Amino acid sequence: MLGGIMSQAVELDLRFSSRSQSEVGTYKLLELPPDLCKSIEASAEGSSSPSFTIKGSPEDDAVLCTADKTYIVRSVVLSNSVLVVTPDPADEDADNDVDEPLKDVAIRDQLSEVIELVPCVPRLHKLNAFLRGREYDEGHEDEESMSEDEDGIVKKRPRFTYEDARRTLQASDAELDKGLRDRRILVLKGELRPIAPSHLTTILELLLTNLVSHSLSYTAAPVSPLVEALEDEHDIRRDVTRQVIAWFGRITDGDSPGSMGTWEMDADAVVKEVGLGILRAYRDEPIFEKEFLDQWRKAVGDTFEERVSLKLLVGNYLASSDTLSDPPIPLLTYFPSAELPIDPGARFSELFLVRPRWKADEITHFLSDIAVDSKERDKLLLKHARAITDPTGIWYTARAKYNA
Amino acid sequence: MLITVNVAIPGPSSDPRRKLPPQLVQFGTDELVLIELQGALDVEGNKDGQLVGKLRIDPATKKPTLLIGHHLLEGKLVTLPKPLGVLHRREPGQMEPSASMDVDDREQSSNGSATSWDIVAVVKRKMVFSKRPMPIVGKPASSTVSGSPLYDENAVDDHFSD
Repeated sequence: MLGGIMSQAVELDLRFSSRSQSEVGTYKLLELPPDLCKSIEASAEGSSSPSFTIKGSPEDDAVLCTADKTYIVRSVVLSNSVLVVTPDPADEDADNDVDEPLKDVAIRDQLSEVIELVPCVPRLHKLNAFLRGREYDEGHEDEESMSEDEDGIVKKRPRFTYEDARRTLQASDAELDKGLRDRRILVLKGELRPIAPSHLTTILELLLTNLVSHSLSYTAAPVSPLVEALEDEHDIRRDVTRQVIAWFGRITDGDSPGSMGTWEMDADAVVKEVGLGILRAYRDEPIFEKEFLDQWRKAVGDTFEERVSLKLLVGNYLASSDTLSDPPIPLLTYFPSAELPIDPGARFSELFLVRPRWKADEITHFLSDIAVDSKERDKLLLKHARAITDPTGIWYTARAKYNA
Repeated sequence: MLITVNVAIPGPSSDPRRKLPPQLVQFGTDELVLIELQGALDVEGNKDGQLVGKLRIDPATKKPTLLIGHHLLEGKLVTLPKPLGVLHRREPGQMEPSASMDVDDREQSSNGSATSWDIVAVVKRKMVFSKRPMPIVGKPASSTVSGSPLYDENAVDDHFSD
């Protein structure tokens, strides 16, 4: 039957749409990356209905966000023109028989550009600027944040909400949520508040002691008693504890309504954060390695002390030794790679400022967050550093000594 | 500025609509075909409903031809390197006629937030007329609107001259 139709000659009148004037500029062509195309086609079959958002910004290119990815939007001009041709829209409205063969087809729009999508990393760096001064700390949680401007006039800092972030930041919802979690930013009554590191350490230490005192298994701890204990005994808000718990592990939803679920704690992540909390105080003055490890073990308690290991903190400290004593005593200084410049050139100059020469296995920890893999990292080392091999191993020094 | 893009591809559950003839569907989707031309269709004045030309698809070769005035264009089926989503601007009641989704628009337009677009089709093929038009002698294109140069011959000629 279909073959019969296909073998007939078809001749159609190609016309401008009967609403051509008002339809100019109402069509766009969007190049679809494979995964985007798949999700659109799946939705046509009725399984789900994805929706995308184009987020513009005065200083950046527009991006298109899906539920979990971000793409840069670029307009590519075509040398040819493309006609969008459909049945005439007037035919749709008139109650015509849908099976009646068409005699003409309509040009709805004439296009000379295509929108190209290029995957990009979510643009979350503005979060820090938006949230300056909005830190959530123990004791003054509900205090309105005030700041003085140049004229000494006290102004209330504006709230920055989750919805503000969704609207202004060029990131998909999933990437935003991950960004908030990675940056330890609480969502309190809709408002974004980065948690003060010291307060985070306090909460984690309390969680560890409460797990032990309530004899709860850290791989399957009911959330409710923990949240209640911290609220009753330490005045820590339920929504704060609950979010901190979710950052450090996985919450499985409870069966009964009203249950807050079960927590499978990421023990290494908690132990690491507690260690960072202690180490943070030794930014300018080093601490003896042994003294630090003792403090750290004590803070996490008997159950978790065997997890304490400097390996958890790589990229956050510098090891040195007190050469005045004999034998030399190992020392640690807080030195977080997260606070170093993102730009590779600036990062290397800062690293070589702190230390003129680095052991290969030490410097790599301070490069992992700016290189996607070890291949890219080695490329950076090749470009920005000079390798020297001596009996103790490979050392890196600055490539160019501009001020020598 | 935020612009929402929804997927609105007609599926099996949507209302029956006018479909394109099957001979045309093979160049696009059931309801939409992209036709690529060298040069551009240039019309002065109101072009609503105006005839551009005759589109024929040969039953044997499946080759399309487009007769515009005295020019015959031969076309072919081209598979797109990447599928294209066709976006159509949704009209929520009265729209600002000037509101357009200009991706390079750096202004925070106040009415821009109301703009939303639908992905109405995903196309993987197109009909391309890339060859030089052949003049047809002695066959008056009686059905075209006389006196209006619908197809910008100069644009086409310019294109072919290089």
